[in-house]
Amino acid sequence: MGIGIEVVGLFKYFGSVAAVNDISFSVKEQEFYSLLGPSGCGKTTTLRCIAGLEQPSKGSIKIGDRVMSSASEGICIPPEKRGIGMVFQNYAVWPHMNVEQNISYPLRITKVPSEKVRDRVNEVMDMLKLTGLGKRFPSELSGGQQQRVALGRALSIKPAIMLLDEPLSNLDAKLREQMRFELKDLQRNTGIAILYVTHDQVEAMAMSDRVAIMKDGVIIQEGKPLDIYKNPKEKFVADFIGTTNFIECDVIGSSASSTDIRLESGSTFTVPEATDIRGRCTLALRPEDIELSAEGTDGFEAEVEVGIFLGNVIDYRIKIGNSKLRVQSTVATMFRPGDKVRAKVGRVVLFN
Amino acid sequence: MSSPNGKLTARESNALDMRYVFLALTGALFVGIIVYPLYHVLAKSFVSGSGLSLANYVKVFSNPTNFKALWNSIWMSATTSVIAMVAGTSLALFVIRTDIPCKNLLRIMLLMPYAIPPFIGAIAWTQLFGPAGYISKAYINLFGSYDVPWNIYSTGGIVLVMAMYQFPVVFITVSGALGRLDPSFEEASRMSGANAFKTMRDVTIPLVMPSIMAGTLLAFVGAISNFGIPALLGFRARFYVLTTRIYSALAIPDMPLATAMAVLLAITAGAALFVQIKFEKGQSRYTVISGKSVRPQTISLGKWRMPIFFMVVAVSLFASIVPMASMLLTSVLKYWGAPIKLSNLTLKHFSYVFNLEMARRALKNSFILAVLAATVTMALGAVVSYMSVKAKMKAAVVLDIVGTFPYAVPCTVIAIAMILAWSKPPIMLYGTLWIMLAAYLVRYMPFSIRTTRATLQQIHSSLEEAARMSGAGWLQTMRHIVVPLIKPGLIAGWILVFMPAFRELTMSVLLWSQGNETIGVVIYNMQDAGNTQIAAAISSIVLLLILVGNVIVRKVSKGQVGL
Ligand SMILES: Nc1ncnc2c1ncn2[C@@H]1O[C@H](COP(=O)(O)OP(=O)(O)OP(=O)(O)O)[C@@H](O)[C@H]1O
Ligand SMILES: [Mg+2]
Repeated sequence: MGIGIEVVGLFKYFGSVAAVNDISFSVKEQEFYSLLGPSGCGKTTTLRCIAGLEQPSKGSIKIGDRVMSSASEGICIPPEKRGIGMVFQNYAVWPHMNVEQNISYPLRITKVPSEKVRDRVNEVMDMLKLTGLGKRFPSELSGGQQQRVALGRALSIKPAIMLLDEPLSNLDAKLREQMRFELKDLQRNTGIAILYVTHDQVEAMAMSDRVAIMKDGVIIQEGKPLDIYKNPKEKFVADFIGTTNFIECDVIGSSASSTDIRLESGSTFTVPEATDIRGRCTLALRPEDIELSAEGTDGFEAEVEVGIFLGNVIDYRIKIGNSKLRVQSTVATMFRPGDKVRAKVGRVVLFN
Repeated sequence: MSSPNGKLTARESNALDMRYVFLALTGALFVGIIVYPLYHVLAKSFVSGSGLSLANYVKVFSNPTNFKALWNSIWMSATTSVIAMVAGTSLALFVIRTDIPCKNLLRIMLLMPYAIPPFIGAIAWTQLFGPAGYISKAYINLFGSYDVPWNIYSTGGIVLVMAMYQFPVVFITVSGALGRLDPSFEEASRMSGANAFKTMRDVTIPLVMPSIMAGTLLAFVGAISNFGIPALLGFRARFYVLTTRIYSALAIPDMPLATAMAVLLAITAGAALFVQIKFEKGQSRYTVISGKSVRPQTISLGKWRMPIFFMVVAVSLFASIVPMASMLLTSVLKYWGAPIKLSNLTLKHFSYVFNLEMARRALKNSFILAVLAATVTMALGAVVSYMSVKAKMKAAVVLDIVGTFPYAVPCTVIAIAMILAWSKPPIMLYGTLWIMLAAYLVRYMPFSIRTTRATLQQIHSSLEEAARMSGAGWLQTMRHIVVPLIKPGLIAGWILVFMPAFRELTMSVLLWSQGNETIGVVIYNMQDAGNTQIAAAISSIVLLLILVGNVIVRKVSKGQVGL
């Protein structure tokens, strides 16, 4: 094992529309890599180009050290010769074959001896907790079970690489959460590289080693989930990943380790973050990076509008001048609507 | 709307009354024109001499010619449908799933035999492949032989021509199923390591198998119910099938025998349709549409691309342009068999036709019958469909079933039913034009119910509810909302009944009388009497009308329906 994917300068046009517009990234061996982005940003198209189901307009795709697609050299290896496992969003479990037949198909088609097929199918069914369902047809299975069959079919030939296109989006919330762990375990146990496509940021954050944030056919930012969360390069990323408050403000001064900021309401405060931005800018603030206290001189003054007790945290909406901010606080005391509070700011990110 | 306390308002109860009156009237009419005559066929077949008996059936099974006709019907239709299955399925796969050029044009051409009346097709094929046919003569000139190694007036000829007019049914059902098939099923197979060919073998074909079988059974029913082809090609070869034997039995006349054979015909066709419905249901379980518009990559045929393309083109040409061209050519040649050159072309056959009293009468009769049949069936169909689809009335569902039932009854059987029911007091229609109208109403009722149902299902009921909330009563809602919305569908449906009714043959040939000819009957009699060119001239006129009708339907329905 130990094969990765390398995509260089990938373009895909549908007519004159560029669904994928110059994308480069690489998935390392045994890595769980996610493409994350809003609907229509080109995730599926990228995945289909790698699978060989779509021919790239420009660029090259390498799997291991084999060139699979190269527009300039006119290479496009057909999908069945790429040795990739793929799970489709709607599973595409064949309704005319039972569970065993579905899972064993990739083995049968490559002429694996029948005892070996049986052993491997049993092994896969055990791993995916499908034991005993072998003779059932897809119409007799639940959504979660069908999805496991789709996974089993993709895994049965022990591919070095798996592509998954929003495989959890058709499941209910509970099953989705459970499958998240199972997928992650599976990847750890089998050591395959997984390229995962989703528009659900929680899903991507929870499972991925690295994430690429896509928008309009390009990758905006790539990195470890936590790094992206902490240091979004653009307002779009900050907004897309997690909940973020955006406030218009002015930078009125800065030093090597801090920046002075004035809000539209007039209140000024200092944040422990250096910047070269001057004048007008947007301040991005995570709800959990704001701390509320009854008194003090840190941060700025605000008024509590409403607070909702969520069990582990209290979700406040506070008001400064005309802007409203969301704050998640773990402090045990609960403020009441109308209370005047001091909001102390931890990490912030400034955007032009 | 119900008032808050649950009682009906005055207007609501009026509307309900109106609907039940409509329903009751339609129901009575259906019983009178559909149930009563068809019941007669069944009952009459078990009556002989003085009482109930199986004598008529004994006559079918003991007389070798009659029994042979039953057997011929079955195996001729079975062979035809197997050819139609192979041809229709492979053509659908080629045209929908591979990279051959000009797919759209080929698709239209392959669907054309669907619009051409089979008996007109049969005439065209005799012009092409008959003893003095264009292709036969070309063959003789080319190879310098005295004879051609084929004979169109034979069992083989019947099967081939029949297959030509039945394969579009398979083609339509299979290409429809292929279009609805979720492409990711096939992509999953490619990702599993199967190449294009194995994907087709292991995934695509098994998944559309129910449609292949359903289409094949429809072809079987079409073949066994057909009269024109075995009549025009089979009488000379002394090859008889049930429909042509029934025609002969009526000429004797031996009504009880005809009735027994009609029942046997109905049973065979009905059984096939019963199985066909099972397959259709099976297919709907397999076709899941994912809502994604990604089409699967077409299969690259490589070096086979051009050979297969030329083969498909040849089939398409013989399915569409060639027979029509032959018909037109025959109608403008000075005499049948004349060398094809400019100086031998004439319009005299057309002027003869237009001056022929019988032809003019037939045109007028067919026109009147088709207009009435289309108008009445569409009106009744709209009422029944509205009541069952929109008003969701139980009684209307029953009417829906009764009105659709004749779909399973071969035309020949319907004609027999008309003779049995309407040639004795109190209602004597036999010998008049109206017996054919009665037959057409039964025959085309299922089509109109189906098209109106499909049209109504596309209209969301909230549109009507909005009108009711705005204060419109039921009749006003119908007039202002429902009718305008379904008008294009109704017009298209009207033409789709008008056209086949206009050129109907199978029933008319059993029901016509002197002075009450239809256009189909005149073409058939002309051809039968050897007036090839007169038949060709009238057929050309009919084909032209069909073409125009088709263009109109496509315009009105925005390409959704056509013959
Ligand atoms: N076969 C096609 N023909 C034309 N346009 C296409 C085709 N497939 C995709 N597109 C377009 O390319 C763009 C990217 O589509 P893609 O399916 O890759 O988006 P996505 O990121 O997977 O979105 P989603 O999250 O909704 O699945 C979209 O604007 C889409 O309309
Ligand atoms: Mg997608």
